[in-house]
Amino acid sequence: MKTAMRMTMKTVKTKRIILPIILSTLALGACSQTQNEPGVNASSKDGGKTTVNAGSKNGTVGKGGASNVTSNSTKGNYLPSNNANSNVSDGSDLTLAGLKDPNNLLSQRVIYFDYNQSSIRPEYMVLINTHAKLAAKFPQLKMRLEGHADERGSREYNVALSEQRAVSVRRIMGTQGARSQQIRTIGYGEEIPVVQGHNKKSWQKNRRVEIKYDNY
Amino acid sequence: MIFTTNMTVIRNNIKSISLLFIFLFSSSLHAELQLSISKSANDGIPIYIANIAATIPGGHNGIIEADLKRSGRFTIVDRAKIPNLAPFGGTLNASAYQGIADYIVRGKDDGNGGLSIELTSTSDNAKTNYQISANSNSRRPAHKAADQIYQKITQEKGAFDTRLAYVTVINNASSNRLFKLFVSDADGHNEQEIMSSREPITSPTWSPNGTELAYTSFELNRSGIYIQNIFSGAKRLISGRKGSNNAPSWSPDGSKLAVSLSFDGNPEIYTINVRSGALKRITNSSAIDTEPTWNGTNSIIFTSNRGGKPQLYRVSGSGGSAQRLTFGGKYNSAADVANKKMTFITGNRGAFHVAIKSLGGGSGRDMLSNGRMDETPTLAPNGTMVAYTTLRGGQNTLAVVSDNGKSKQFLRSALGDIRYPAWSPYLHR
Repeated sequence: MKTAMRMTMKTVKTKRIILPIILSTLALGACSQTQNEPGVNASSKDGGKTTVNAGSKNGTVGKGGASNVTSNSTKGNYLPSNNANSNVSDGSDLTLAGLKDPNNLLSQRVIYFDYNQSSIRPEYMVLINTHAKLAAKFPQLKMRLEGHADERGSREYNVALSEQRAVSVRRIMGTQGARSQQIRTIGYGEEIPVVQGHNKKSWQKNRRVEIKYDNY
Repeated sequence: MIFTTNMTVIRNNIKSISLLFIFLFSSSLHAELQLSISKSANDGIPIYIANIAATIPGGHNGIIEADLKRSGRFTIVDRAKIPNLAPFGGTLNASAYQGIADYIVRGKDDGNGGLSIELTSTSDNAKTNYQISANSNSRRPAHKAADQIYQKITQEKGAFDTRLAYVTVINNASSNRLFKLFVSDADGHNEQEIMSSREPITSPTWSPNGTELAYTSFELNRSGIYIQNIFSGAKRLISGRKGSNNAPSWSPDGSKLAVSLSFDGNPEIYTINVRSGALKRITNSSAIDTEPTWNGTNSIIFTSNRGGKPQLYRVSGSGGSAQRLTFGGKYNSAADVANKKMTFITGNRGAFHVAIKSLGGGSGRDMLSNGRMDETPTLAPNGTMVAYTTLRGGQNTLAVVSDNGKSKQFLRSALGDIRYPAWSPYLHR
């Protein structure tokens, strides 16, 4: 019991140390988000009126963020594969051809979310930044961010929630130089699930934003 | 040939609009939802409905029985308990049946689809007679009869002669999805397709006169709020602004839609005048504000997560500060209001149930459902029945429950998942 507890704490601690490094280049962007990253800086906004405390929402500070993924057997499905090294490209090596290369990070176009949250999980920052820098480098490039929700909760609320997920991704892309006219957002709610199951695994796959380039 | 015949009929008939409706949608005319009864009140007002000879399947009496049962306020007396009852027009000494039924209904089909109905109280032998004229929908006279019987006995208006709008999704598990907006009778019969799209259709809401639907459609690869006449099919775009155009709810006076729009970057409640298109902002928060529903002509109840989690709030129809209505539980949303009652979704240990509460005062609420994923409750116009969707056998199915929880029925579509039921107002035609 104690050992397990200690290990969890360790995981959280490690992530907390790594995160600021990953996030350092986009600290401003992250702070201006509507909701904060779980386990990073769960604070209140609007002078305490609107308290968005991602961690306490489902008791998953750490769990809802990065460490949940490591302790989850479905890990591989939701983590960008070359996230482990946190070398955020400065954009100079990004090419449009990369969009068509299955080994390039740019081929990964789905960002997953926590239940009833629109904040970006830290592990997706590199992926989002890479797409954003590509967009910044090629101003003619246009994309749609399509937000989705799982089946839990009410349908129309989920449309709004899924749109906010897309808006969260766009906001971070904006801090990396992507122009607002390059990015359109849409919330589909729970209307278009990728998987049909009524369980945690299916719900996780359905809570997502898909990046869709106009011509790629 | 068939076309010509129909055109002649239409020209010769005053009720051409309703006939045209049937004519336009004749391909799906006989489609209906499959009913299964989960429970009926066994302590309701005992009522005996005599057989009414008719050419329609199940007979008029079958429709009246099913309607009264659905209200959760009546218990239908087994026909075998009163053998050899004198037919409509014959002498009836009702007091002889006092121990069996409180009321006896006898009736007669006039041969042209019209109905004569007689309601007799067994306590005092008092008789009330109703003449109900024929309708192009052969089941409606029986629904109208059930409304009359219901009103006479309970002193509240009946809501059986009403309709449901809902969305059905065909091939939900594949990328070949097809969304269809349907209207049916409130008992699931006479399903009529209103519109169809490869992209999602959501949130239908009825105009108070029952002739138009407003809904959200993603048919142009972005969301838009449309108004469509269910008889003519004529359709117009009401809001196609940047961001989401979502969750329309028609005001009781017919003049406005309350909607959730996010063109300024965040979903807020607005009203849109359906004639002029004039937009008025109702809420102003940095949170999600959506799912507006009218509570009378100048009050709107909506869902907001401004307190951190989705809860219901009330705001004046002209804007101003909002007042929180729900405190119990971490998730309360998707309200609908009729006759001073409010139904809504409430989260409970990871499941989502339908609840109902009085808006007249008191903080109590009753749970009406126990599914895992119950959604989009909608009240009959008299506030006595709630339609919602629930997962059954892996498929989203329509459920209708009485406000006292005593009657529950399921309506399954052979086509696929049912979503977004919307109960019509009282029908005027």
